[in-house]
Amino acid sequence: MTALALKRPMRAPGLLAMLAIMLVGFSIATHDFATPGNALNVLLQSSVLLLIALPMTFVILTEGLDLSIGAVLSLCSVALAQTALATGSFAATLAVALAVGTAAGVLNGGLVAYLRIPPFVATLGTLGVAQSLALIVTGGQSVVGLPNSVLFVYGGSILGIRTPILLVAAAYALMHALLYRTRFGSYVFALGGNREALTLAGVPWRRMLLAVYALAGAWAGVAGLLLASRLNAGHPTAGIGMEFDAIAAVALGGTSFERGNGWLPGTLIGALTIGILRNGLNLLAVSSALQVSCIGLLVILAFTLEAFRTQTP
Amino acid sequence: MTAASSEARAARPTLPPELIRLLLRLAAVLIVGVALSLLSGAFLTVVNLVNVLRQAALLFFMSSGLTLVVITAGLDLSVGATIGLAACIAGTAIKSTGDPWIGVAAALAVGAAVGLLNGMMVSLLRIPSFIATYGMLWVLQGVTYTFMAGATVYGFPHGFRELGNGYFFGMPIPVLVMAALLVVGTLFAQRSIWGQQITMIGANPTAARLSGVPVRRRLILVYTLSGLAAGFASLVFLARLNSAEADIGGSLTLPAIAAVLIGGTSLFGGVGTLTGTFVGTLLLTLVLNGMNLLHVEGNWQPLVTGVIIVAAVWLDLRGSRARS
Amino acid sequence: MIATETTTTPEAPLAPPKLELRGISKSFPGVRALSDVSFAIWPGETHMLLGENGAGKSTLMKVLCGAVAADAGEVLYEGRPTVIASPADARQLGIAVIFQEFSLVPHLDIAHNIYLGRAPRGRTPGSIDHKRLFADARRVLDMIGFDIDPRESVHRLGVAQQQMVEIAKALSQDARILVMDEPTAALSDRESERLFAMMARLKADGVAIVYISHRMAEVFALGDRITVLRDGKKVRSLLPKEATPDELVRLMVGRTVDMTYPRRFRAPGETMLEVRGLAAANGVANVDITVREGEIVGLCGLVGSGRTEVARAIFGADRVTSGEVRVFGRVHPGSPDHSAKLGMALIPESRKTEGLALIRTVGDNLLLAGLPSLFPSGFMRAGFGRTTAHEIVKRLGIAAASLQQQVGTLSGGNQQKVVIGKWLAAKARLFIFDEPTRGIDIGAKAQIFALIDELVAAGAGVLMISSEQAEIVHVCDRAYVMRGKRIVGELGRAELSEENIVRLGMHQ
Repeated sequence: MTALALKRPMRAPGLLAMLAIMLVGFSIATHDFATPGNALNVLLQSSVLLLIALPMTFVILTEGLDLSIGAVLSLCSVALAQTALATGSFAATLAVALAVGTAAGVLNGGLVAYLRIPPFVATLGTLGVAQSLALIVTGGQSVVGLPNSVLFVYGGSILGIRTPILLVAAAYALMHALLYRTRFGSYVFALGGNREALTLAGVPWRRMLLAVYALAGAWAGVAGLLLASRLNAGHPTAGIGMEFDAIAAVALGGTSFERGNGWLPGTLIGALTIGILRNGLNLLAVSSALQVSCIGLLVILAFTLEAFRTQTP
Repeated sequence: MTAASSEARAARPTLPPELIRLLLRLAAVLIVGVALSLLSGAFLTVVNLVNVLRQAALLFFMSSGLTLVVITAGLDLSVGATIGLAACIAGTAIKSTGDPWIGVAAALAVGAAVGLLNGMMVSLLRIPSFIATYGMLWVLQGVTYTFMAGATVYGFPHGFRELGNGYFFGMPIPVLVMAALLVVGTLFAQRSIWGQQITMIGANPTAARLSGVPVRRRLILVYTLSGLAAGFASLVFLARLNSAEADIGGSLTLPAIAAVLIGGTSLFGGVGTLTGTFVGTLLLTLVLNGMNLLHVEGNWQPLVTGVIIVAAVWLDLRGSRARS
Repeated sequence: MIATETTTTPEAPLAPPKLELRGISKSFPGVRALSDVSFAIWPGETHMLLGENGAGKSTLMKVLCGAVAADAGEVLYEGRPTVIASPADARQLGIAVIFQEFSLVPHLDIAHNIYLGRAPRGRTPGSIDHKRLFADARRVLDMIGFDIDPRESVHRLGVAQQQMVEIAKALSQDARILVMDEPTAALSDRESERLFAMMARLKADGVAIVYISHRMAEVFALGDRITVLRDGKKVRSLLPKEATPDELVRLMVGRTVDMTYPRRFRAPGETMLEVRGLAAANGVANVDITVREGEIVGLCGLVGSGRTEVARAIFGADRVTSGEVRVFGRVHPGSPDHSAKLGMALIPESRKTEGLALIRTVGDNLLLAGLPSLFPSGFMRAGFGRTTAHEIVKRLGIAAASLQQQVGTLSGGNQQKVVIGKWLAAKARLFIFDEPTRGIDIGAKAQIFALIDELVAAGAGVLMISSEQAEIVHVCDRAYVMRGKRIVGELGRAELSEENIVRLGMHQ
């Protein structure tokens, strides 16, 4: 691992404190929180979120945003569910998930990098398109009865470890290596930090930016597979709002929306924080709608702290 | 060039570009209208046209406040959720007190308070507007769902429902209110010094600030007005639907933004009118109404709206690049 | 080319120049940045480039590195005609430029920055061989004696350290021609010494260096050859032994064709602006300034000396941390809208980004500052607004087709008139001009100075920032000179000369 990742001090000093308070609070408030079984639950429940929060970090590092990722995830989940039902082939299912996701990502990237549409508008448009397509191909119904090979993605285990955990670990390792160990990774930082520097270095930055969005789309496909497996169904609206959890995880993890200033391990911690918050609130029987409110507040809080930090030198 | 000749040139009647753009959009409305009347016999009927106007009015209430926000180069993604919360609180208040005016006050207060918070986050904390209002969206949605706990309130007093269903001299009341709002809003945006300052903030916030415009106060005002407009829209929805449940506003944000953008208000700030937004709401409502009449599934709506949003911004970008 | 000075190149070495520019001209809308400049650099030499702000040095640099295409002239590389059409072409020729604005990525480490787009490849496709990357970076950093961990993130570095990384980046490209724009402006003496030692090594290796500086001591210590630019033209190329510091100052500022601005000097009236012990968050400190009715007070010094910062702090645009600003005897609470209400006006340095809403019309911009005072009812009366705007258009001679014309389509001089005009509409009486004549042609300049004179004759007070000493000397009653964010001197009308301003303002 390079200096880039490790030598950075904790970027969101409030985050660990917040995490600690939550852990202690939930342990006191509920009996079931501080148990090994529940810890596994938190990990499993956070797995889908993590798969999209990682590429979302890349996107935000480029001073971009992907509002479409939740809707794209839904679209992928129904497309792959239908493929699985029709063919029964896991390879075909995975291929469709990746293809649909990547196509949506390329659309986003094309709009942002080549037509220079502001990212939040471009991805808002794609959000609408993906949502419609998901509803249209299913007629608004869930696609149920997935083959075992698909169910294995969430429900199985290898060598005694649950597959989602392995999948997330592999995803993190891959994305970490991509960001910190490749040329592409350094371009991601430069896309947000100083595009002029890329031009002067002769790097085709538009292509790189397109690749970042395409990557986010591809991961939405994988996340769609994991979600479908978990729900045992492809559901046309299952992923709605998930982009917000992902953005929240990135923001909580200390990645700034400006100048390519970010930290991938922070996103890991941020996503786990959200997982723990949701899990704890679940145990406290707080409705899922109010859980989202709490995440919203948390994000606004994170930005407020950031605003105070940057405005008082 | 001397001042005399500059006056002489000014006297030559040329249409200002903004008017030309507005006329182009009106032409688009006409074309869509003609196309629809050819495609569907049900389109060119009084009942349907009145219906279109009424739907356009509902959309316009939201889009009017949003127009001001977009003129300042901001975005308010929380309008739909604001409508949801305001409608639910107002509906509950009316049901429990029986007094519609309490509901009206509640909806407007909720809208203004949400807008105020948005404005403070954007202007004082300098959180990018789409992030601040996006966070607000989810906060509001959670509060609304919790407040309603899955319940629906319905059955409001007749007098209140007139706001949505009533007629006055043969015109639906929402349409008349829309006309009034269009006049008052245009007066504010185009004729008041605050409206002018808001436009100039959108065109160049630094220049506005260095010319003595109190930028922060004006931005807070703009977001508050957007919240207030959403609060008012919630009342009309409430009266029209005669019921409120938590997900009432969820699908409204995207069309509201689309109407503003196809109305010629630039996402990059400094350009935009309420008349444009009015035409934009008409155009969007016609398209959606036409889809309805042609039996296109409702599921196509987000796609069409999304494409329209991106296309509008792209055209705007192309236009401004061509000009410079 | 101006006829008053020789333009021959003294004692040209026998070897052909590494790079030669011949007759380079470049115009931007409204201003001629370079006109017929010829300039040659030889391997193993440091060529000092001198000139006042706006003399054309940075444009010349941009032509060298392919960022700007010249309108006319030719480039010869080792005697052969060549074309530098893009930064890539420049790199191909071994030209590396260190700009004052950095081309660094803030949240990448030093090594990745130095080798951005060129990092050594590892075994896995797309990967970087970090061991080699850091070793290579270490080697380049050692070359310039910069003792820092190449794993350090650039955003943590001070300006001086970032400068060193920029230099390392240029060197890592095996530059044969190194162009540096005031590289020591942000460096401490020790760091500068190291930089000079490195330059000596590079020269010994046959690298040609173009060095822009404002520091007289450096010019004589480092330069093998000196070229002085003024108003976009080459005044003279000479050897250090042929020149004295005074001679160079004279070459930089001396004007043969001069613009004289009519000015009616009169006895100043009451005090309008009184600044005492002002310090602001933007770095300026201990600023004392007085402006009286009927006075034009200059504020001069080099770019970066803190003049704009003083103006912004007085106007309330940047936060004041201590001290007092009194406007018309009243303590100024410190925000632009209060300033406007008190009758103060700021005509900012960059009219395009700070002065005007370019996409809006002439009329909109003219009325912007005066909205509250012109329309106390809160509603604009279109007729009155038009009349007011028309009066100003007429009074300032703004060449606009109509009030509906977009301000962005006006020429620089007319845009500047609109910025001034909006404060006339607001009936301001105390004006702060920040570089009012930058980038506008001579004719418009004269008009703007005539206008400023008219304003003070009518009882206004003016604080004027200018980088053109000639303007300050011709126009001002008094002038303050700044250096390093402090005011270092005040010159009365009698002592006001370009030489005095340059001497006070320059680092010795």
